[in-house]
Amino acid sequence: MYGGDEVSAIVIDVGSYSCKAGYAGDDTPKAVFSSVVGSIEQMGETDEAKADKEADTASDSKNGAKPMDVDKAKTKRKLYVGQELEFRRDHMEVISPMKDGTVTDWDIVDNIWNHAFRQRLLINPEEHPMLIAEPSTNTGQQREKAAELMFEKYKVPALFLAKNAVLTSFASGRATSLVVDSGGGSTVVAAVHDGYVLQKSVATSPIGGEFLTDCMMKSLESKGVVIRPRYSFKKKESPGEYKVVDLDLPNTTESYKLYCMRAIASDIKESVCRVPDTAFDEVAYANVPTTSYELPDGQTIEVGADRFKIPDILFNPSLSQTIPGVDGFADSMSVRGLPRMVIDSVNRCDVDIRKELLSSILLSGGSSSILQLKERLEKEVLEESSGNTRVKVLASGNSVERRFSVWIGGSILASLGSFQQMWFSKAEYEEHGVAYIQRKCP
Amino acid sequence: MANAASGMAVDDDCKIRFLQLKAKRTYRFIVFKIEEKLKQVVVEKLGEPNLTYEDFAASLPANECRYCIYDFDFVTEENCQKSKIFFIAWSPDTAKIRSKMLYASSKDRFKRELDGIQVELQATDPTEMGLDVIRGRAN
Repeated sequence: MYGGDEVSAIVIDVGSYSCKAGYAGDDTPKAVFSSVVGSIEQMGETDEAKADKEADTASDSKNGAKPMDVDKAKTKRKLYVGQELEFRRDHMEVISPMKDGTVTDWDIVDNIWNHAFRQRLLINPEEHPMLIAEPSTNTGQQREKAAELMFEKYKVPALFLAKNAVLTSFASGRATSLVVDSGGGSTVVAAVHDGYVLQKSVATSPIGGEFLTDCMMKSLESKGVVIRPRYSFKKKESPGEYKVVDLDLPNTTESYKLYCMRAIASDIKESVCRVPDTAFDEVAYANVPTTSYELPDGQTIEVGADRFKIPDILFNPSLSQTIPGVDGFADSMSVRGLPRMVIDSVNRCDVDIRKELLSSILLSGGSSSILQLKERLEKEVLEESSGNTRVKVLASGNSVERRFSVWIGGSILASLGSFQQMWFSKAEYEEHGVAYIQRKCP
Repeated sequence: MANAASGMAVDDDCKIRFLQLKAKRTYRFIVFKIEEKLKQVVVEKLGEPNLTYEDFAASLPANECRYCIYDFDFVTEENCQKSKIFFIAWSPDTAKIRSKMLYASSKDRFKRELDGIQVELQATDPTEMGLDVIRGRAN
């Protein structure tokens, strides 16, 4: 038992798109930054043994390779996290710690945590209990890995792992619900019953905000629009007008260029897109009024049918294949539209709770902020579900609450006086070992 | 222990009152609230057996969460007098997010303390716990 409620806990949620970190009890996370990091391979450090030794002894933990990561080739690299990524650097690649919603590179996650604690929140992790929000799809092995890293490296006094879907569900006042979390890298549908995620109901799809952003970008490119990343030009003021001068930066990596272009495409998406009321139809939408958007370099583009077509991909993934340059899905069978995922997920649950799940479908995640998503989902699920079932899709009216519902849920939970006895404490870790996390935080 | 449970304790009075409702039918309904400072769930209101559903619905605050037990009397199609004990988690949309979180994360533990609940409902607006819904679930 850990009874220290005098220091506030830290809540951290590393998503595939952004990392949210802050103090328990706050309304919103103090630090929100990109989950992808910049990486530069260090030259001249070919001697592996030497690199290892250096990484072990280096007090600057940014140097990466830790003794725990035996599975990874120990190339020495320097990682740039958070705002450091905003500056263009020669040869800097942009890499992500996650793939399909789960962590694949713990070294990067470690760096992200470190950045959050020491650069953003300016705290010493040894003094604060930590509540980590984890994807509903996390395996036991990944949970143990996270716990081990937290206790061994950061020496946290206490830890708790809570599942994203459960936190979202609780934050909306429901212990039983169907959580539709449409984030950056993926969309996850999970049924929560009495505070437990029903594992067999969890459905994932690679279609999230980033996929839509890519579709937007490819579609604009196919129409001849050139999105110029902000770093690639300079604005010069000549009397009355700005002149744009291209810069020649040959050592910029493709992945960094893509990262910067995505940031722009993502803003276009957020500014102009809305979900159509019915399935998108190329002919019917051919003449919709366009909306203009000004790119960073000053050119103005007109977005027409794409305003509706791009968000409709959430409902009808095969639509993305009509956009030139968009890759097909590796496993096209597993990629389903949102309403289909919801119905399939509900049908995998016990028949007694299906009604209740359908009447409390919760929308969360960044992509849930797209206009009209809630209404369209409710309509389509109603059409696909049998009989006179009551279907209700709920989403917080406040877009901040929607986007950060997982973090906010964690923040409240960790700040409750009664919760302080629930932590997995350092003493318990030392006595029972890391596997005990599965009992403390099932 | 549910994943991410709040660890909220339950006042013994809750269990006693519930047993009285169940065994002796001394109450029509019971409304419970969470006292965050005391870290426990306590009894807030007790409804006399002669009170109606309307009295019960009126006793719930519009902007705050509560748990309630309601003893529902009805007549089956075979003309048989029956009753069922409902557990209702009242969590209005307009409630503060902190209060929603508190009640949702404490519910599982609290429910386990009350042995004999027959039907469970969660409601975020009055229509979700209307008399028609209750009647529908009772059969």
